Amino acid sequence: MAEKLRIWVAVKHGVDVNLARADRATGLVKLDSAPRRTSDFDKNAVEEAVRLRDKRPGAVVTAISVGGPAAREALRDAVAIGADEAVLVTAPNFAEWDTRAVARLLAAASRALGGFDLFVLGEGSTDHFAGLVGPRLAGELGCADIAYVRRLTVEADGVVAEKDLEKEVETVRARFPVVLTVGQEINTPRLPTFMSNLKASKKEVRVVSPADLSVAAEALAPVVVTERVAVPEVPRKQVTISGASPDELAARLKDALRAEGVLP
Amino acid sequence: MSDEVVLCYSEETGLAEELVRLARAAAPSDGSRVRAVVLPGAPADAADRLVAAGAHGIDAVTGAASPDPAATSDGLRAVVVATAPTLVLIGSTKRGREVTGRLAGALDLPAATGVTALRLDPDGIRVDREALSGNAVAVERIVRRPAVVAVMAGSGAPTATAVTSVDRRTHPVAAFEAKTERSEVRPKAGGQLEIEKADRIVTIGRGLKKKEDLAIIEALAKALSAEVGCTRPLAAESGWLSDDHWIGLTGHRVRPKLYVAIGVSGAVQHLVGMRSSKVVVAVNKDPNAPIFAQADYRITGDLYQVVPALVKAFA
Ligand SMILES: Cc1cc2nc3c(=O)[nH]c(=O)nc-3n(C[C@H](O)[C@H](O)[C@H](O)COP(=O)(O)OP(=O)(O)OC[C@H]3O[C@@H](n4cnc5c(N)ncnc54)[C@H](O)[C@@H]3O)c2cc1C
Ligand SMILES: Nc1ncnc2c1ncn2[C@@H]1O[C@H](COP(=O)(O)O)[C@@H](O)[C@H]1O
Repeated sequence: MAEKLRIWVAVKHGVDVNLARADRATGLVKLDSAPRRTSDFDKNAVEEAVRLRDKRPGAVVTAISVGGPAAREALRDAVAIGADEAVLVTAPNFAEWDTRAVARLLAAASRALGGFDLFVLGEGSTDHFAGLVGPRLAGELGCADIAYVRRLTVEADGVVAEKDLEKEVETVRARFPVVLTVGQEINTPRLPTFMSNLKASKKEVRVVSPADLSVAAEALAPVVVTERVAVPEVPRKQVTISGASPDELAARLKDALRAEGVLP
Repeated sequence: MSDEVVLCYSEETGLAEELVRLARAAAPSDGSRVRAVVLPGAPADAADRLVAAGAHGIDAVTGAASPDPAATSDGLRAVVVATAPTLVLIGSTKRGREVTGRLAGALDLPAATGVTALRLDPDGIRVDREALSGNAVAVERIVRRPAVVAVMAGSGAPTATAVTSVDRRTHPVAAFEAKTERSEVRPKAGGQLEIEKADRIVTIGRGLKKKEDLAIIEALAKALSAEVGCTRPLAAESGWLSDDHWIGLTGHRVRPKLYVAIGVSGAVQHLVGMRSSKVVVAVNKDPNAPIFAQADYRITGDLYQVVPALVKAFA
């Protein structure tokens, strides 16, 4: 570990899943024009990084986003929570970049810009929810990774983390450098104040291109292409059960469910 | 595209069997070979079960077992190098998704997770996966092979196709490169419930005012021979129910015959977990709750009046 703990956090400016709308006729969602915002778990990632920094004098939190100019908003959110530095990796064809390209760029940026002890990411982005970028980054760099972290302690040369799996919680130890992914159970991200927002809006963002990071354009060529995104049609009967009293309601529902053949 | 190899792996043997069946159904030619990977630490009967599910070959990796994702990825990598598959299928559990990313990153392969359907087309591998927090289904085309694809449990695997002869190989891995060290494993509280398998589910949301009131929900579940499900806040925030009851994007995906949602608003992240239910009943005091758009039978009312009446009616 460097004398001063270097913490990186990846923040995605993704599609706002509550505002994305499907075309009525085709059922297809237009992703290009959908409103975007900072991915939920990435705020937890920044919050966790900032809390660690505050316990470790000299530690620095660098927030990084890969995307278009609008991704500056995700970096602004990160700085408003408390990140010290902001890096935007961008190029005119950013819209083509898939998960592999994003992970490669994060890996290249961390190498080119001084390295990290801890790299914290969301365990899934709100729109894509693949859970791929963190483990890909670790696989590419050949360093330790711990996904689904719910509790984190930093020691002199590494971390101890609680990893949340379906049926068990593991306590896992790793030495630096380590890639961690977190979900919303790890903490509650602070709400930025007026002053922190103001500071964030003034913060200079370091803008780098793949070429600056010595990544050739071919290395970012898409290998996974999203062909269509559609809202599934699950036809529901939408029958309103009404009655003069709760008992009458209950009796009617019972008749309906018996007719459906779903009662024991 | 003849003589393709599809590799299947999951730390959950049941899910690995599903992958084998799915691969047999999806494999494009008679020459295709479906092989299952067995890593150190797997149950003793894993290989036999995978053969019974239809695997043409078993790739057993030997060496010291470790739950570390880098070690798992190393074991799989040894088999990928030896068998040159066009496709690696992994069970899309939490561990499975982590290993998918790790392996894909290490070998610079395309990857997809949370996949519910898969087609091997001439111009690429097409997968269906949940997108937009479960609001939508995305079709992704993977344009380069091999690819690593993590498939969700219950993705319509048909019955097993028999094999006549099985090709068994062993791949010794001298040193797994475990990058993390596990010092403790704590089973989650509850943890026994397998809500995915329930035929009927009564799900409670934040409409419930206090923990003690769970009694009326449990009474209804009992009357319906149902399991109790819940939304995220009741498991992750108030902790009134253990995680094995939690339904949705970050919880469990269920497909019961009957799903009764009580005091549940119907956020997209919840709906993704219950969308495959056959018949949906919703009870909510807000007539505009989004859950009603996903319901077959809608009851607008206060759960504290409706549920006791339901308990009486169904008892
Ligand atoms: C990345 C991410 C992942 C998530 N994953 C999940 C997940 O896996 N599962 C999940 O459930 N959520 C998940 N969530 C949270 C989700 O967005 C919602 O916040 C959550 O589902 C809301 O739970 P609820 O319906 O119980 O509560 P609320 O939204 O608060 O709804 C309570 C409902 O109860 C009704 N109500 C209140 N009182 C009564 C009464 N007396 N009688 C009848 N009705 C009443 C209200 O009208 C309201 O509709 C996730 C969120 C994010 C950002
Ligand atoms: N374009 C991006 N820029 C920065 N970080 C990203 C980007 N895409 C994904 N990530 C990070 O990777 C995590 C997992 O994303 P995903 O693999 O898409 O589920 C997110 O929570 C972010 O921390």
